[in-house]
Amino acid sequence: MTIKRREFLGHVAAGSAVLSVPGFLAGCGVQQATAVAVKPPANPFMDWFGVDQTTVARVMSELAANGGDAADLYFQHSRSNSLALEDGIVANANSGIQQGVGLRVVIGEQTGYAFTEDLTLPSMLAAARTAAAIASGNRVAVPQAFDPKDMGKLYATSVPWAEVGIDRKLPVMKFVEEKAKSLDPAVDKVSVYWADGDERVMIATLDGKLVTDHRPMTRLTVLVTVKKGDEVQSGYSNIAAREEFGWYTEERLTTMVKEAVDRTLILFDARRPPAGEMPVILASGASGILLHEAIGHGMEADFNRKGTSIYTDMIGKKVAEPFVTIVDQATIPRERGALNYDDEGVEAGRTVLVENGILQSYLHDGISAGQYHVRPTGSGRRQSYRYAPMPRMSCTFMEDGPHTKDEIIAAVDRGIIAETYTNGQVQIGAGDYTFYVKNGWLVEKGKVTAPIKDVNIIGNGPESLKRITMVANDARLDTGGWTCGKNGQRVPVSQGIPTVLVSSMTVGGENVG
Amino acid sequence: MSAELEKRAIEAVELAKIAGAEDVWATTTQSRDVEFEYRDGALEKVKDTTARGLAVQIYADGRYSSHETTDLNPERLRGFVREAVAITRALEPDEHRRITPEELFRDRPTDELDLIDGSVAELDRDQRIAWCRTLDEVSHGHERVISATAGVYDGMLTSTSASSNGFLGTQESTYCWLGSSVTLRDRGDKRAEDGFYAGGSHIADLPTAASIGKTALERALSRLDSGKGPTVRTTMLVDSRAASSLLDRLLGPANARSVQQGRSFWAALMGAPAFSDRLTIIDDPLIRRGLASRHYDAEGISAKALPIVDKGVAQNIYVDTYYGRKGGMAPTTGSPSNRRVAPGDHSLVELLAEAGTGVYVTSWLGGNADDTTGDFSLGLRGHMIENGKISRPVGEMNVTGNLRDLFMRLELVGNDPYPYATTLAPSLVFTDVDFSGV
Repeated sequence: MTIKRREFLGHVAAGSAVLSVPGFLAGCGVQQATAVAVKPPANPFMDWFGVDQTTVARVMSELAANGGDAADLYFQHSRSNSLALEDGIVANANSGIQQGVGLRVVIGEQTGYAFTEDLTLPSMLAAARTAAAIASGNRVAVPQAFDPKDMGKLYATSVPWAEVGIDRKLPVMKFVEEKAKSLDPAVDKVSVYWADGDERVMIATLDGKLVTDHRPMTRLTVLVTVKKGDEVQSGYSNIAAREEFGWYTEERLTTMVKEAVDRTLILFDARRPPAGEMPVILASGASGILLHEAIGHGMEADFNRKGTSIYTDMIGKKVAEPFVTIVDQATIPRERGALNYDDEGVEAGRTVLVENGILQSYLHDGISAGQYHVRPTGSGRRQSYRYAPMPRMSCTFMEDGPHTKDEIIAAVDRGIIAETYTNGQVQIGAGDYTFYVKNGWLVEKGKVTAPIKDVNIIGNGPESLKRITMVANDARLDTGGWTCGKNGQRVPVSQGIPTVLVSSMTVGGENVG
Repeated sequence: MSAELEKRAIEAVELAKIAGAEDVWATTTQSRDVEFEYRDGALEKVKDTTARGLAVQIYADGRYSSHETTDLNPERLRGFVREAVAITRALEPDEHRRITPEELFRDRPTDELDLIDGSVAELDRDQRIAWCRTLDEVSHGHERVISATAGVYDGMLTSTSASSNGFLGTQESTYCWLGSSVTLRDRGDKRAEDGFYAGGSHIADLPTAASIGKTALERALSRLDSGKGPTVRTTMLVDSRAASSLLDRLLGPANARSVQQGRSFWAALMGAPAFSDRLTIIDDPLIRRGLASRHYDAEGISAKALPIVDKGVAQNIYVDTYYGRKGGMAPTTGSPSNRRVAPGDHSLVELLAEAGTGVYVTSWLGGNADDTTGDFSLGLRGHMIENGKISRPVGEMNVTGNLRDLFMRLELVGNDPYPYATTLAPSLVFTDVDFSGV
């Protein structure tokens, strides 16, 4: 693991990755009847949801009454807060509470799902019966006694966000605004958006796991509008992590603001590059979007078990040069995509997707792991209790390679550097993917010559992997607040990459001949 | 159900007043959503849920904030509302923030919108599975099919709002969508894929499951053996489905917030010829059985038809009360409803013939636009147009330009508005568009 988190590298991107395509442990069939023990150890999450192990066990029995290879109850309480600074004042706040329990029963590849926001026993039992209706009723699955797991430590906080008053957040937002205005007299408007949240989940499974997790999250975004004569340009930057209040140091905030202002100012000089196929240098950090779209989604096992991914028959095959290693890892402390346990109660871990150029492993949830007869990779995630989990990425990155950034730039005769991004998308079957480059540079005869802006880049996943001809030694994770959308569910993710050269991609542009 | 929602909304207003709010807008919602998914001959997923929620907007001491919860336990709700008022007081005052004035919601339209189909509530498992089976069977009607997922999605949403200055209203609608996604074996490891989904408030308005499945399969088949097209400046024909999302992009920054915040290319366009005179767009919330029809918007503002673009002249943008007051614009409505794009008189076949050569775009892949400048760059899938006819399928291409310039070069408008989106757009033909490919 060679990822380094650096705070001071200009032009780090941020935004939101949206894939707009309109799982639990391996099932083991009928289980031995075991008395459901009521274990005494105090569980603050039980109190939080107003339930006890007896109640949870009763609902689990109802859920599995018609049989099931797996079943789970996903209790969740989310509390989010946001604040907006516009036109110099913080005059808009929003808070939200989402509380409920999702109930799921799985038989082979079949899923029955229901949820309720009323955590009383009758309401939970009714939801359990609805979910259980998927099963045919000719099997019996008996819940195992609960064996509570330890809370994870990847993002422990000393003060939950619920206890941080607005009076402490306001000065941070004002500092960001003033800093942005101070950096250039042409800065016309500054908006600052604050978001924080605490999420408490408690997952109880048919095979007896009882997992609790407290997941904090915060994100700060600054938007700037710059006016020069009649011309107006706007840009933004944001930072996000599973962190607490003290994370917002003056240094960190200043870096973010400088990025936003620099990215916006350069738009006045930036042009569209020429259109067509050309070499693309992906700057370190946010360019991890390449991995997310070109390979990450295609390696999610739900697509592969259905045979719909272009990577379906490629495990064990050479897909890239030997210096390419790509990893999805949820255990990087405090990262936006970090997780102690996935949303099926499986301990989250590290999955090597590509090792030294060879395709290694898909990202599994319980359903796909059962079908492939492998251990789940802890990749079963869901947006909330309102959704059934499916395989998802967490923090996806490429490890360091043998080259340097300077060598890579020197190797390009005519091409571009892609540096900041707003979004991306992929078609799983054809493997075509895109990402939108907000800022970048033209490279001519091995030299960086002029700024570029607003071009979409499109490529094909497996072809682009083959065309990664150089990988530098400057890997880092992006600090921006990325959100991945899949089948209508949004989850926070992280991504990173060293400077990389892709020998040919199709770049949107002008000056068409 | 609506009586209970009404009671809950009125109680929330009272709770907030007791907690010290001067003005309150409360909205309660309840929804039932059922999802049946069927893949390759077997039922894969059944989801049956009822969700509920309460949202309050608090106006206190010249300050404002908004809050939502799904926890309706009466005791905790009192604490939630008290905290909402306390949060409001911790903010800075804002003279522009006021509750929706009564004159904006007084004369609410009474047009019969016909948004509720009683037969949706009566749908049973057998009917949903029967649709799934038909979709599944038809979608598998080709030897290259690897997998097809059919889905039936139906439900009902009820929303009630009450305010401290006398607003009380309930809106209710049903929905039912059917469709499937199809994946085909293509060259090498590649798979061709596409799908088709149709829906509306009334089951009777839907095409048959068999015809929906057939369209899904045909769309996927048309993607087989797709290649890259050329880097070229040529004519672009956008089909009605893709035109709908292209227009959503054009209209994205056509709102008071973006304009007031200095992040909208629409700011400079108002009242003048901004686009080709073939472009006319009306926001029409009162279409019978429309996907986004309504009697009032999220702020309670009474619904009425709003001309957005008339023969290329930018007429109105979406103006809510807050950014309108702040930016000196009269409120229209803060959010889009149904957008009708005036159709032309050409069929798709005629448009292809008129275009002669060019690129026929059937869907977009990623891409984005800068709201401030209108600069855009989008990935696309479609076909080349040769000799006035659809020819080979293309993908892995981008189209790049500026949204305003593009719509200045709108040459022809089709007569085929796409019915399954809230922007009812026909096929559109643009000249001199920059494509990047091989």
